[in-house]
Amino acid sequence: MQVKKMSESEKRELERIVEKNYGSKLDLSNYDCYINKRKEIYIAPKNLDEKLIEISSYFGVYFGKLKRNEKIQLSVEGSQLVGKHATRNIVIVDDENIYRFMEGLECKWKELINCEKNNFVLIKNGKDFFGCGMLREEKIESLVPKARRVMKTIKKV
Amino acid sequence: MKIEFPHGFRKKFEEILGDEFPLLESCLYTKPKECIRVNTLKITKEELRERLESKGWKLEEVPWYENAFFVETEESAAKTKEFFLGYYYIQDAASLVPVLVLDPKPGEIILDACASPGSKATFIAELTRNEGLVVANDVNPKRIKALSFNLQKIGAINTIVTMMDARNIERLGMKFDKILLDVPCSSSGTFISSFSVLEFWSQHVVERLSNLQKQLLKAAVKVLKDDGILVYSTCSLDPEEDEENMEYAIRRLGLKPEGIELKGLKYRRGLERYGKKVFENAKYAIRFFPFDNQTEGFFVCKLRK
Repeated sequence: MQVKKMSESEKRELERIVEKNYGSKLDLSNYDCYINKRKEIYIAPKNLDEKLIEISSYFGVYFGKLKRNEKIQLSVEGSQLVGKHATRNIVIVDDENIYRFMEGLECKWKELINCEKNNFVLIKNGKDFFGCGMLREEKIESLVPKARRVMKTIKKV
Repeated sequence: MKIEFPHGFRKKFEEILGDEFPLLESCLYTKPKECIRVNTLKITKEELRERLESKGWKLEEVPWYENAFFVETEESAAKTKEFFLGYYYIQDAASLVPVLVLDPKPGEIILDACASPGSKATFIAELTRNEGLVVANDVNPKRIKALSFNLQKIGAINTIVTMMDARNIERLGMKFDKILLDVPCSSSGTFISSFSVLEFWSQHVVERLSNLQKQLLKAAVKVLKDDGILVYSTCSLDPEEDEENMEYAIRRLGLKPEGIELKGLKYRRGLERYGKKVFENAKYAIRFFPFDNQTEGFFVCKLRK
């Protein structure tokens, strides 16, 4: 994969952006972070062989993507790492709407916790975090990638 | 509707199984028990059990692995919140076995040489508790996508996915503590899940695959550390892909067989002879048929360098 290893100061900057958006203090000191040209960030164990990374098709866990104006869209796994201690931009969604979210459809919220409109928000149902959505005036846009979507409406055969 | 084995298949397995052959035939009309493996990187077994049972699922612990369940449910196991979240992985319970025999430990450097779609690689990563390194390799670009997706979903940080013909795995320039070589095979043990696998079965295919498997063994041994462990497994019931290749690894590649004991799984030792072939080390291998545990059939052996 074509990625660049983030320096310690870049990692601190990433932690700051995560905290600014979600109020969660993330400690990445035990990991190395890598970023590609599309500003997608991967978390990996410390000191992976650079040559191995270069020839790899995938590695570590995809954490999220940096966006303009110090925003960050987290993957499902990224949201699970950050969500535990998050205090901002959290949207509580009920059971019916969480299935819509998982299908990639727009959904409605039950409760907003310190949310900023037109920003990425953590989607929470019960105590689980399902990734990020985009909070609009009246709805949440699902940002679940196609491959991850669950088609609940298709019945078991 | 009457389903029949291909002619050559029936003759071959009547010879291997003798009186037990009708049991194999009965598997044409059964399905394997649906199985899920708890992803303990994300959730505890108790919590997942409680969540699924509260939705009316019936769970029965898999006798040979405490963190997996046979499940009975009205809803599709692939369409739940818990599945979306990566709290469990759906797999045939038989495919737990090669990894249990490999016995991955935190901190080890492990290769899964033919890893897609990832049921075993995700399990290895889970058992290493994100400490050490798991290299999950496959040759097929489409299958690499599924492998990467599944590793991401279980939240395995200590994994790296490579795409190469495992016969050239030496090019990685690495040596491994443990290797899982779950080779491409005729899949004859999986007809209980999908009868269509037998459409491609023929003695010629089995022999061609047996040759490929020997090449893969030869390549894997080169990247295994001294005293390292290699687990060779197939979901084939054919001795050419199983005991014959185990003997090849011992006699030609110098590996030493180790015994396998697994509680809760009904299995038998490897075949000691087939036709004119004698397999001296068969007692070290295990094989089980679809009718033994109502799972897919597998052959597994453990070899030390």
